[in-house]
Amino acid sequence: MNFPKPAVGMLPNDRLDYSPIVKRKPLKLPKGARMVVWTITNVEEWDPTQTMPRTVLTPPAGGAPMPDIPNWCWHEYGNRVGFWRLLSVYDEFKIPGVMNINGVAVEAYPDIVKAGVERNWEFIGHGFTQRNMQKVENERADIRKSAEVLAKATGKRPRGWLGPGLTETWETPDILAEEGYDYVADWVLDDQPVWMKTRAKPILNIPYTQECNDVAMMLIQHHKASEFYERAMDQFEQIYKDAKSSARVMAISVHPYIMGAPHRAKYFRKIYEKIRKKRDVLFWTGAQIADWFVKVGPKPA
Amino acid sequence: MPNPMIPKDRADYSAIVDRPPLKLPGKARIVFWTIVNYEVWDIAKPMARQLLPAPTGVPLMPDVVHWAFHEYGMRVGCWRFHELFKKLKIKPTLAANARICEDYPRVAEEAKRDGWEFMGHAYEQGPIHKEADQSGMIRRTLDIMEKYTGKRPVGWLGPGLTQTLETPDLLTAAGVKYIGDWVYDDEPTVIRTTNGPLVTLPYTIECNDIPMMLIQHHESDYLLKRTIDQFDRLYAESRKRAKICALAIHPYISGQPHRIKYLEAIYKYVNKHQGVLHWNGAQILDWYQSITGKQLKAAE
Repeated sequence: MNFPKPAVGMLPNDRLDYSPIVKRKPLKLPKGARMVVWTITNVEEWDPTQTMPRTVLTPPAGGAPMPDIPNWCWHEYGNRVGFWRLLSVYDEFKIPGVMNINGVAVEAYPDIVKAGVERNWEFIGHGFTQRNMQKVENERADIRKSAEVLAKATGKRPRGWLGPGLTETWETPDILAEEGYDYVADWVLDDQPVWMKTRAKPILNIPYTQECNDVAMMLIQHHKASEFYERAMDQFEQIYKDAKSSARVMAISVHPYIMGAPHRAKYFRKIYEKIRKKRDVLFWTGAQIADWFVKVGPKPA
Repeated sequence: MPNPMIPKDRADYSAIVDRPPLKLPGKARIVFWTIVNYEVWDIAKPMARQLLPAPTGVPLMPDVVHWAFHEYGMRVGCWRFHELFKKLKIKPTLAANARICEDYPRVAEEAKRDGWEFMGHAYEQGPIHKEADQSGMIRRTLDIMEKYTGKRPVGWLGPGLTQTLETPDLLTAAGVKYIGDWVYDDEPTVIRTTNGPLVTLPYTIECNDIPMMLIQHHESDYLLKRTIDQFDRLYAESRKRAKICALAIHPYISGQPHRIKYLEAIYKYVNKHQGVLHWNGAQILDWYQSITGKQLKAAE
């Protein structure tokens, strides 16, 4: 089917052809490993003068009063207290961290950035503010500024990008490639990395997740806390099985204000307690996945 | 001081791991803070929460069914709370609309007799943003409660935790010493206001029956499960630093026959642990002020 093309940018199928995973040449990981797990921690700063991106408590009789201090505080709890609980899990199980962070949050929470830098975490761009990319005034400036802030704070330019709420315009992958990003994670369409065409050089997409993601599970679907563990295990077992003949990637995505709450933290920890023991599972950052795939995977079309 | 102050003007970011631990007296390590919410839902206004949206989803006025849903809590549900807390000798914090002293004197009297702490919670239930005279409403609320109990409330919780940017300034002007609206930490903190410092106590919108039961629609037993999980984690952490575990309940929700046993089971579980204090907000405030006072002296 031919869909009308956007004036700027590309339609998804102009960036990559449909490809059934079973027909591809098998991918091999080093040392006989079957799959990679990467864990993404999302650090955001919520502007108290704007509508909150998410809420846990609605006001009496509904509506959206401004300011919304209780929901601002609810998120801030994640940065003051919850993040440090997640960090203790990463430290305990030696999980290489990936911090997906808004540009403004880099300046607002230097202690959090420092904790990541000290542990040699990967930092990836996540919008300068926690705002839909379609509503950002100048997308290129936003993407560029996000990289500059991270380069200044961590000493390294980010190689990966995840849009705030995974939002993109038709042009986002083109701008990312032009601004020097190596990979994006917004396209949750596969269990393996895939190459995408852009106006500039091709860009890699690495499998991220809205399934094993605490925003979707806890705030939208309202599952109980233990379901985060249950679903992660179901996801893991299936991908592990599927990866017998060709490597696959599993992502787990968390936010300090959600899985860092006292009543949820143990279910997050339990995932790693269980899967960290597997000898044929690698725990990598996004950049490690990208480097491996560039080396062993198919070349861009 | 910018006027009005946004949250970051009132309190700097502070990572909990960078602070010296707080200590509770003796062998105590954790405070279990129970907050009961009593409200007045005026039949002339839209109801604060809805359980059963009207057919076709159009909000109807008057909304008798949800007025009655809430009224059940004041007629029946709250007596399950009073029985439980009398038996356990717990004196919770009562976050109450001041109008309960006028509309439900029988209930207010019981809470007063049982020695509960009265905490200001607006005159009646509705978002504070819609108050024409917020400052007047705050004073009126505290005056009514002071007259009724003989004691001016030291604590405040916004209706549905709603606040405007000015609220903390108006509260300290009216003599309020602590608020529960800032759910951003496990520990008490101090925020800046135009009339000097105001203490925040770690109230909760996680272990709170409104988000859990009316917004997220969890099953009744999840009240028990989440509170146990919350308590377990905070209790483990309280080995190193004092923690406060808050639980917020409403008589029309947790006072329902199908939920009350889970609430009772929470206290059974918590009370099996050593070093648990059942304090209300005023007691937590006294303790926090006494130790921060000492710490300040030690630093001099």
